[in-house]
Amino acid sequence: MLRPLLFAAAAAATFPAMNLSPASAVDPYAVTDIWNRNFAADRPWHGPYYHIQYGQPTALVVPPTAHMRQTYSWGVSQNKMMPIHHQFGRNASSPGARPHGSFRPTPGWPSHTDQFGVYYVRGPW
Amino acid sequence: MKRLTARALANWSVAFTMLATAGVSSAQGYGSDGVIVRSEVVSDVAVGGETVVGSEGDASGDPAGYNTGVGRGYGRPDLFYNNYTQGYANATNAQMYVSPVPVPPNVGHTYGTYQPFYPEEYLYWHKNRFHNYYDNGRGTNRTRATYYAPPVRQAVSNIYWNYLRLPR
Repeated sequence: MLRPLLFAAAAAATFPAMNLSPASAVDPYAVTDIWNRNFAADRPWHGPYYHIQYGQPTALVVPPTAHMRQTYSWGVSQNKMMPIHHQFGRNASSPGARPHGSFRPTPGWPSHTDQFGVYYVRGPW
Repeated sequence: MKRLTARALANWSVAFTMLATAGVSSAQGYGSDGVIVRSEVVSDVAVGGETVVGSEGDASGDPAGYNTGVGRGYGRPDLFYNNYTQGYANATNAQMYVSPVPVPPNVGHTYGTYQPFYPEEYLYWHKNRFHNYYDNGRGTNRTRATYYAPPVRQAVSNIYWNYLRLPR
């Protein structure tokens, strides 16, 4: 009689540990999703630099469950952790690609990881 | 119970034959035995030459009904859709396909033809369902997909790549 109960308790204890899906009910009302949408609405997904191979700021697709990004920089500690607000969506957006020269190149002596022109954008749900 | 089922089947067959021959208006009234025949049009083809509101097949040269704006009970998902960066402050935008930047039109495009195999589905651990409507909405094919990473192997890989691996 005791053994099935023990098994059931063990299963119940291990099930939340195994259910590691990051999209689970940590945020049941999707408040961070709203925050991300609001932040992404009024600030660009890109920085002022272009990727040296493409001539455009380049979006690096990260999982939609990714929250934060890390930047490294020279100098007195400018290593920052920042949230990733932007996410790919269904709506076609304008403007499209800009002509060359609209963005700055990576400096010859880069001092910040944002200067490489690669910016994170979360993939769609 | 068995007799009831047989009667229900008989009612259904009568209803379908009426649908096929005389149109929709007489499809009601055969559901008196607990079988509910909806009064809506089941078929997508305008039967009997009459135009029914809510069905396809308007006389406006739009036989598939794609531009009628009439809501229907099933969706028409795109097979392949692109994803774009959103927001109003962007000086430029990126599309997800073709990655990472738009290519000139003479380069062409890559289309994924099977939605469960889209690359963005593999990005995280989730489940998804895909519905395909065929035969003008008469049939549905549902596909359940589970995108899963084995947790033990994931943990070992995490330990290796994030703690043990020499950074070089």
